[in-house]
Amino acid sequence: MSIPSGSPERENSGGGVPQLECPSSPPSFGLDPDPLSTGSPVISPDSSSHDAVLSAPAASPADSENLSPDELELLAKLEEQNRLLEADSKSMRSMSGSRRNSGSSLVSSSSASSNLSHLEEDTWILWGRIVNEWEEWRRKKDKLLKELIRKGIPHHFRAIVWQLLGNATDMPVKNQYSELLKMSSPCEKLIRRDIARTYPEHEFFKGQDSLGQEVLFNVMKAYSLVDREVGYCQGSAFIVGLLLMQMPEEEAFCVFVRLMQEYRLRELFKPSMAELGLCIYQFEYLLQEQLPELNIHFRSQSFHTSMYASSWFLTLFLTFLPLPVATRIFDIFMYEGLEIIFRVGLAILQYNQTDLIQLDMEGMSQHFQKVIPHQFDSCPDKLILRAYQIKYNPKRMKKLEKEYTTIKNKEMEEQIEIKRLRTENRLLKQRIETLEKESAALADRLIQGQVTRAQEAEENYVIKRELAVVRQQCSSASENLEKAQDTIRELQQQRYTEQFVSSLQTQLEQSKLQEAELLGALKEMQDKVLDLEKRNSCLPNENNMVALQEEVKQVKLRELETLRSFRELQDTVTELNQRWQVAHKLLSTGGGGGHWKESPKKNAMNELQDKLMTVRLREAQAQAELREIKLKALQLESQNQIHSKLISRHEQERSALQDRLQMFTNQNKALQAQLNEMKRKQAEFDCKSKEEVMAVRLREADSMATMAELRQKIAELEIQKEEGRIQGQLNHSDSRQYITQLRDQIAELKNEVCPASAEGDYLSSDEDLLPSPLPPSALYPALSSPCHPSARLDSEGSTDSEAEERVRTHPDPQQLYGTMVCAEALDN
Amino acid sequence: METIWLYQFRLIVIGDSTVGKSCLIRRFTEGRFAQVSDPTVGVDFFSRLVEIEPGKRIKLQIWDTAGQERFRSITRAYYRNSVGGLLLFDITNRRSFQNVHNWVEEAQSHVQPHSIIFLLVGHKCDLEAQRQVTQQEAEKLAGAYGMRYVETSARDAINVEKAFVDLTRTIFEQVRCGDIKIQDGWEGVKSGFVPNTVHSSEEVTKGSRQCYC
Repeated sequence: MSIPSGSPERENSGGGVPQLECPSSPPSFGLDPDPLSTGSPVISPDSSSHDAVLSAPAASPADSENLSPDELELLAKLEEQNRLLEADSKSMRSMSGSRRNSGSSLVSSSSASSNLSHLEEDTWILWGRIVNEWEEWRRKKDKLLKELIRKGIPHHFRAIVWQLLGNATDMPVKNQYSELLKMSSPCEKLIRRDIARTYPEHEFFKGQDSLGQEVLFNVMKAYSLVDREVGYCQGSAFIVGLLLMQMPEEEAFCVFVRLMQEYRLRELFKPSMAELGLCIYQFEYLLQEQLPELNIHFRSQSFHTSMYASSWFLTLFLTFLPLPVATRIFDIFMYEGLEIIFRVGLAILQYNQTDLIQLDMEGMSQHFQKVIPHQFDSCPDKLILRAYQIKYNPKRMKKLEKEYTTIKNKEMEEQIEIKRLRTENRLLKQRIETLEKESAALADRLIQGQVTRAQEAEENYVIKRELAVVRQQCSSASENLEKAQDTIRELQQQRYTEQFVSSLQTQLEQSKLQEAELLGALKEMQDKVLDLEKRNSCLPNENNMVALQEEVKQVKLRELETLRSFRELQDTVTELNQRWQVAHKLLSTGGGGGHWKESPKKNAMNELQDKLMTVRLREAQAQAELREIKLKALQLESQNQIHSKLISRHEQERSALQDRLQMFTNQNKALQAQLNEMKRKQAEFDCKSKEEVMAVRLREADSMATMAELRQKIAELEIQKEEGRIQGQLNHSDSRQYITQLRDQIAELKNEVCPASAEGDYLSSDEDLLPSPLPPSALYPALSSPCHPSARLDSEGSTDSEAEERVRTHPDPQQLYGTMVCAEALDN
Repeated sequence: METIWLYQFRLIVIGDSTVGKSCLIRRFTEGRFAQVSDPTVGVDFFSRLVEIEPGKRIKLQIWDTAGQERFRSITRAYYRNSVGGLLLFDITNRRSFQNVHNWVEEAQSHVQPHSIIFLLVGHKCDLEAQRQVTQQEAEKLAGAYGMRYVETSARDAINVEKAFVDLTRTIFEQVRCGDIKIQDGWEGVKSGFVPNTVHSSEEVTKGSRQCYC
C-alpha cells in the first residue's frame, strides 16, 4: 500500500496558516482529546463569510486556510480515520453490502484496532450530532459539513446523511411507493434484464432471486411509473443499487426521485440524453483548457470524450471505479452535485496524462479499462484532493451551458429548418412535377393550336381563293347583268310587230304538226317492228316443229276431206253428165222432132251448145282432175318437205355422232399416249429392279463372306473352349466316364444339329433379305451348334488317347469347319 | 509498435439491449465468457489482430455500443467512421429480431456518405430450446439487406471467430479491389505498417492489379 500523499501534504501546508487567519472562530462543541490529535479539539462552526471563498475554483486549499486550528485538527483526525475506515470497509464490503449488516460490521470494525475505535467514536459522535442538528449545521456550519463530507461520510451514517442531503426524508411520493409496486410498467422487461447485470459481484445482489435484485427491480419499476418520460434508463440502476446498499427500498426510492429531480440526473437520463451531451461539451472545454496536450493527443487518435466520459456521468463513476472509491465520490455528489464528476474526471485524466500521451487508441482504451480504475483503490483521498485542485468555474460552466444550448438550439433549428426545407423541397418537387405536367399539357395544346392554326390558314387561303373566284363571278355576273339590262333596254326600245308574233305562232304550229306526224310515223314503224317481231316469232323453228307437223296432219285431213268432197262432186258431175247425155239423147231423139221443127240453124246451134256443154263438162272434169293432181303434187311436196326435214334431222344427228366419234378418237389417242408412257416407265422400273437385284446379290455375297468369317471365328472360339474343357478334364481321374458323357453330349448335339442347321439356313436366308448383316450374337447360337459335332466327332475317334492328343487335333476341326463354311457359302 | 498489420478496420457492433454484444466482443477479444456483464453505457472500445491469410494481419478496432434506444444519440456518432458492423439479435428474443430493420435504418441514416458492410448475427445459438427465430427467416432477412448471416454463441464459443474473420475477409476483398478506398478524415480503414519492403511492394502491385480488373 502506498503512502497517501494527499493528506499529509494538506496537513502540513495548511497547518499553520489558518491558525493565524481565523482566530475568531468560536468553539461550538468540543471533542474528547485524542492521543493522536495535536491541535485543539474544538471545531468552529462554519461562518457565512467562508461561502464566497468556497465557491472559488481551488476549493481545498482555500478551505483549509479558512478553518480554525480545531477544525483542522478534527479534519486531520478524520482523514486518518477515514483511511483506516476505507481499509476496513474493503474487508467489510464483501459481506456488508446491506444496511442490515451494519451492526455486525460496526462491531467488527470497532474491534479492528484500538486506536481506530477512538477515532471512530469521535466521528460517530460528530456525525451523530450533525444528523441530530441537521438544520442548524446546514444553516450555520455548512462549510465544515462540506469539508467533513469530502473526508467521507462514515459508512453507517450514509443512509441518513444522503437522505438529509437529498432532502428526501419526508416525501409524499414515499406513500405512493407500495401502490406503485402493484402497477405494471412498460419498462419492466428491460429492467428485469438489466437487474442481474447490476453489481453482479456484490453479495447483496448476487443470485437470481436475491433480495437485492428484488428491491432493485421494485425501485426501478416504481420510478419508471412515477416518471413516464424518463421511464428506465440503463445505468441508473447502479445509482439505485448503491442507495439500496445503504437504505431500505422506500427511502432509496425517495432519494433516487430527489436525485433525478434536483441533481440534473433526470435530464441526463431523459430519452434525448441532451444533458449528457452538455456534460461532455463542458468536460471537453475543461479538458481543452486545462490539459491541452492531452486533448490534442485524444483528437489525433480520434479518442472521443464520449467514449470514456459518458459512463462517468451516467453512473457517477459507479461502473468505472471500485465501489469504495465511487462511494466517496457519491458522498460528495450528494452534497455538491455533478461538479464533483467533472473534477474527478479531470483529475483522473491529469493524473494519467503522461501515460496516455504515449499510448495509441488501443493502449488508451486498455489503460482506461484496466489501469485507471484501480489507481486509487488504496487512496481515494488522493483522488479527491486532486479533484479539488482542478479549476472549476461554475460561472464559466453556466456560460458553456448557454453556449451549448444555443449550439443545440441552432442545430435543432437547423434540423427543423432542414426538415422544413426538405418538406418544402418535396412540396416544390411535387409542384415542379405538376407544373411540368401542366407545361407538357400546354406544349401539347400549343402544338395542337399551331396545327389547327396552320389548317385554318390553309382553309383561309382556300376561302380567299374561292372568294376571289366568287368575286370574279360576281363581277362577270354583274357584267352579264349589265349586258342583259342593256339588251332589255334595247329590246324595250325595239317594238315587236304582231305579224312577227303570229308568224312565230304558225311556225310553232307547223313544228307541232310535224312532230305529231313524226310521232305517228314512229308509231307505225314501231307497230311494224312489233308485227315483224310477231311474224318472226311465228316462223317455224326447231321448237314449233311438232306443232307444224300436227298442222300438216290437219291440213292433210282437210285435204282428204276436200278430195272426198271433190270426188263426190266429180261423181255428181259425171252423173249430171250422164244425165245430160241422156237428156241430150232424149232431146235429140224426142226433141228432134221439135228440133227438126226449128230451123237447121237452130239445130246446129243446139248441137254446138251441146258440144259446148260437153266441152265444158270435160273441162270441169279436167279441171277437177287437175286439181286432184295439184293436190297430189301438194301432198307429195309436203311429204317431200317432211322427208327433207327428216333427212336434215338425221343429218344433224349424224354430225353430232361424228363429233362424238371425233371426241372418242381423241380420247383414245390420249389414252394411247398414256399407255405408251406407262410402258416406258415400266421399262425403267424393270431396269431399276434389275439393278437392285444386282446390288442385293452383291450385298448377299458380302454378307456371305462376313458370315464365313464369323463362322471361322466361332469355330476358333469353340476349339478354344473345347481345349479349356479338355484341360479341365485332365484333372479328372475317371476319363472314361467323361468320354461317355461326351458321347452323350455328342448324341444330343447330333440331334440338335438337324433343327439347328435348318434354323441356320433360315437365318441365312433371313440375312439375305436384310440389308445389313445380323449381329453376330444373334447368329452365334445357331452357327455354333453345327461346329460342336465336328469337333466332337473328331475327338470321338481317339477316345482312349490322352487329352494332349485331343489338344493336338484341334487344327483339324478348324480346317474341317473351314471347308464346311465354304460349302455353306456356296450353297447360299 | 511490434504488432504489424496490413490494414486497420473499424467495426461497430449494434443491436438491441441484452442481445449479447459485449459478451460476443469479449469472447472474441479476450477469449473468455462472462456470465454477467455491466450494461454498456455509451460506447466501449476493443481491438484485436486477425490473420486472414498467412502473413496478412488485420487490426480490428471494435466499438461496442449501448443497445438502449436513448443511447443512440451517443452511439450514432460512431457509425460514420466504421467500415463494417455486426448487427446482433438474440435468437431467443423475437423482438430483437424485429428491431433489426430499425438498426439498419439507423445505421444507414447516420453513415452517410460512407457505407457499412454488415453481418447479421443471430446470437445465443446455444439456447436452441428457447429459439424464437428460425435460421431460415434470419437468412431471408439477411438476404433482403444483402448481408450474410451467421449464428454464434459467446458462451460455447460457436462461430465467434468465424463471424469476425468472415466480415474482415469481406471488407479486405473490397479494399483490395478498390471498392473501399482509404480516405483522409475517415477512420473506417487505415493502412498499417508493413515491415518488409519487398513484401509490401508485392502487396501494392497485387492490389493495383486487382484495381484494374
